[in-house]
Amino acid sequence: MDTKEEKKEIVVGMADIKVGEAPSVLLTNLGSCIGLCLYDPQRKIGGLLHLMMPSAGAAVNKSELKKAKYADTGIQELLQQLKNIYGVRVSDCSAKIFGGAKILQGNIHNIGMDNDAAVRAILKDLGIRVGACKTGGEKGYKLKFNLETGAVACQIFGEQIQEF
Amino acid sequence: MTEKKKIDRALKLIAGLSIDKSSQVLSKMIKMGASIEMRDVYMADISQLTANRTAEDEKEVVGAFIDLVGDAPFKFLFYVSADDSLVLTDLILRREVGTSKEFDLYSQSAVQEIGNILASAITNVFATDFQISMRPSPPVVVNDYASTIFQEYIMSAALERDEILIIETVFCVVQQDISCRMFILPMQESEKILNYIVSTM
Amino acid sequence: MGKKVIVVDDAPIIRLMLKDILEYNGYEVLCECANGQEAVDQFKALQPDLMTLDIVMPEKDGIAALEEILSIDENAKIVMVTAVDQRESLMKAIRAGATDYIVKPFENDRVVSAVKKAFGEE
Repeated sequence: MDTKEEKKEIVVGMADIKVGEAPSVLLTNLGSCIGLCLYDPQRKIGGLLHLMMPSAGAAVNKSELKKAKYADTGIQELLQQLKNIYGVRVSDCSAKIFGGAKILQGNIHNIGMDNDAAVRAILKDLGIRVGACKTGGEKGYKLKFNLETGAVACQIFGEQIQEF
Repeated sequence: MTEKKKIDRALKLIAGLSIDKSSQVLSKMIKMGASIEMRDVYMADISQLTANRTAEDEKEVVGAFIDLVGDAPFKFLFYVSADDSLVLTDLILRREVGTSKEFDLYSQSAVQEIGNILASAITNVFATDFQISMRPSPPVVVNDYASTIFQEYIMSAALERDEILIIETVFCVVQQDISCRMFILPMQESEKILNYIVSTM
Repeated sequence: MGKKVIVVDDAPIIRLMLKDILEYNGYEVLCECANGQEAVDQFKALQPDLMTLDIVMPEKDGIAALEEILSIDENAKIVMVTAVDQRESLMKAIRAGATDYIVKPFENDRVVSAVKKAFGEE
């Protein structure tokens, strides 16, 4: 008799990281934040980091730092969790990057662009290949990261769903 | 009383007065009863708060963002589903409900103006009940996913701290089955004023 | 046609409501403006008999526009439009020379009454 494991949906909030294995699906919504998906296709293990800012800066010395808020500390933390929980190495991972939109118009700094640039720079330094990227614009992103396949279904507000 | 409890108490008082005034003003604007379905003041972790919003998977919404500037800076957000914004447009313009068929400049501006009037009702409460001078900024209106709008709304507070104190209200427009949400969030600089409010109680 | 009015508000729905009320009551709405700078520019260009002027607007707010318009024409009839009792702003406007004010959300009768009063018609 075949048993079908139900897909477990795990929601990732702002400034948070979730890691999991197939057949889980990681979900998040983004505005100016970046959603970074890391995936090990061999083990079917992945993680999603929903970050808000490029760098922790001076806050890095705080005792209770919410690492997932920042690209630099968040990516380190995501890789650490993947390694500690599932034994995934940096060299096993490929990345997909989403979000970084400018939702509020007017004379407001475009933090989304800064987040996007910071993530790409850090991944480049780590030697992590970026398999897909969909960033920018002025509307929100809805993501579903399927850990069975590594595919990310991305729907930008007002547009059709695209599979990456 | 601890600092947190003081601020919580002050916020509950502000919430009570502001929300009552807001529902009166909203009812007057749409010429229909707008009752308070839920009113809550809570402290929440930003990740948990935003994850809950995402999990709700709400429809597309139209939101009005307003900064309440002055002695006690707050952030204000009002949002309603895009479909319900059409009904609100007809109610405000005293037209038969169903006349507005598409989300357009007027439905966007209906949300803008409702947000403006609700935010002004709140600054009025600060002025008359607490002698605290505040004024609302011009509203910024966004049409997007509810969770995206909510994340952008709490962004500046979330940059400062990992847990935020927030006042959430759900209004229900009687007879039309419309549900709208309103949020008020104190910025860090408001803490002195909130302490002052408690000391006068 | 009746007396000429310019309607100023950053919310198109409010401009539409005011325009409908004024035209229904025999006034001619020359144009609509969405901010204080447009209000000043159109006042100079069209010289209306009266202007309804919102207070909270982007670019230039109603108080700044009021002061500028009154410096051009000290007899200009300006009815301020404000959301709920923004007492501080209202007092500032009245002291600066605004003719009257209307509080949003407004009733049609109140709009007409304020405009008629400004024209000395009641």
